[in-house]
Amino acid sequence: MQLRYVFTELRQGLRRNLSMHVAVALTLLVSLTLAGVGLLLREQAQLTEEVWGDELQITFYMCNGANDRNPQCAGAVDDSQKKVITDALDDNKYVDKVEEESQEQAYERLQALDVEGVSGPDPVVKADDMWESYWVTMTDPHHSAEIIEAVAGLDGIDHVGDVHEVTGPILAAVDGLQSAALVGAIVLVIAALLLVANTIRLAAFARRREIGIMRLVGASTLYIALPFLLESLVVALVGIGLSGVALASVMYFGVEQRLSSTAVTQWVGWEEFFSSFAIVAILGILLTLVPTLLLTRKYIKV
Amino acid sequence: MIRFEKVSKAYPGQARPALNSLSIDIQKGEFVFLVGQSGSGKSTALKLMLREQRPTTGRVYVAGKEINRLAGWKVPRLRRQVGTIFQDFRLLANKNVAENVAFAMQVTGHSNREIRQRVPETLELVGLDGKGDRMPDELSGGEQQRVAVARAFINRPMILIADEPTGNLDPGNTVGIMRLLDRINRSGTTIVMATHDVQMVDQMRKRVIELEHGHLVRDQVQGGYGAQF
Repeated sequence: MQLRYVFTELRQGLRRNLSMHVAVALTLLVSLTLAGVGLLLREQAQLTEEVWGDELQITFYMCNGANDRNPQCAGAVDDSQKKVITDALDDNKYVDKVEEESQEQAYERLQALDVEGVSGPDPVVKADDMWESYWVTMTDPHHSAEIIEAVAGLDGIDHVGDVHEVTGPILAAVDGLQSAALVGAIVLVIAALLLVANTIRLAAFARRREIGIMRLVGASTLYIALPFLLESLVVALVGIGLSGVALASVMYFGVEQRLSSTAVTQWVGWEEFFSSFAIVAILGILLTLVPTLLLTRKYIKV
Repeated sequence: MIRFEKVSKAYPGQARPALNSLSIDIQKGEFVFLVGQSGSGKSTALKLMLREQRPTTGRVYVAGKEINRLAGWKVPRLRRQVGTIFQDFRLLANKNVAENVAFAMQVTGHSNREIRQRVPETLELVGLDGKGDRMPDELSGGEQQRVAVARAFINRPMILIADEPTGNLDPGNTVGIMRLLDRINRSGTTIVMATHDVQMVDQMRKRVIELEHGHLVRDQVQGGYGAQF
């Protein structure tokens, strides 16, 4: 195969349709960045749920004998009290799953949030200050009251945390942003697809004479289509590269510089950025190469 | 080399078929004129030979292959065995003569060494020796058609299909192109040429296949344009 011809055609094609290519790259930049932001928000929602528990959970904190809120607590919860509590939970039809968290586990989770005074040689808060707890996943969040009523009054229970009250607004905000990013991304993805289609149509029209001759002398479809595919690939890579820079800016200036100093939850990091960007890159390549393949088949049919 | 077996071709939205049960057989090395009025089915017959169209019914064989059964990816290989020239030359205006001719080799994957060797040879064959670096708009119509012939012939096809190749040429250039095609034919290449040129067909005394409304009305060895059965 004469690769020199293919690359000459590629260079000429990029120059000939420069304004269209710039339009496609910019549309890809915005649509892929929005898609990337949507993916990061999804990761953020998952992290928030991991930290705070999801909406279907109630947490029963047990007496620790150190800083109990319930005046009924007479020292740390004992095994017989725990047995009564777990039996009550197991018997409740609205309980789906119960997970136990020890004081040490609770302390580790607090440390992961990087709260001031928790880590270091002389921490203000220690594992003994944490409450042992049961994290109850409900079959239906509307019946949280029934479970709380059945368990809250038992001996050994200090207080009840209905996580829904805390995470509800955060998750709702994250969900809202995620939906907005998704809708924006879908609209722009459609725009990008139409732009790619138009570019291919224009490029095929500009090269109709060469294409006609190539078909007649027996050039293979791949050979005829290759400059078009490479042209789309170059534009896709530019769009993906720009959206990578935009997403990295969101991560650096938005998350690292501003949000990470607030310890409300654990924030998305560079690991989540790279996994989201990988999906965005694949999406960008598919968005340009699939319509190019389909349309070149249509316009340069042998 | 080319065989039509009861071939009909109907285009959607047209009451009359472009070809109607056409059967012809063209042997290797023949020179055949395809004549008939506009709309008689000449161009459709040529398109079927190039597998630009498929027959509605019947079978078309080109170089031993039934084109209707030929898989799409095999079509380019068939076309490498069939050279084509047209009334409007179809040269690339941004390439010089040598580049236009070389283009047919480049896009079919020949090496630069082969191209460098064969392009000057072919230009010499068509009488354009020394004009390789001229641009198409610097050439006369006859010379441009010679470039088109060189491009069609450079891959040494078994068949050369010419659709009105002298339609845009003056009588002097027409004779030149016909002599060139005759020389190529003598080298063993089968030539099928659609034309309206009465005088030229009469002079050449080659096989004439005449179509009318898609029907074969005459197939005559060493015929003239207006000869009767």
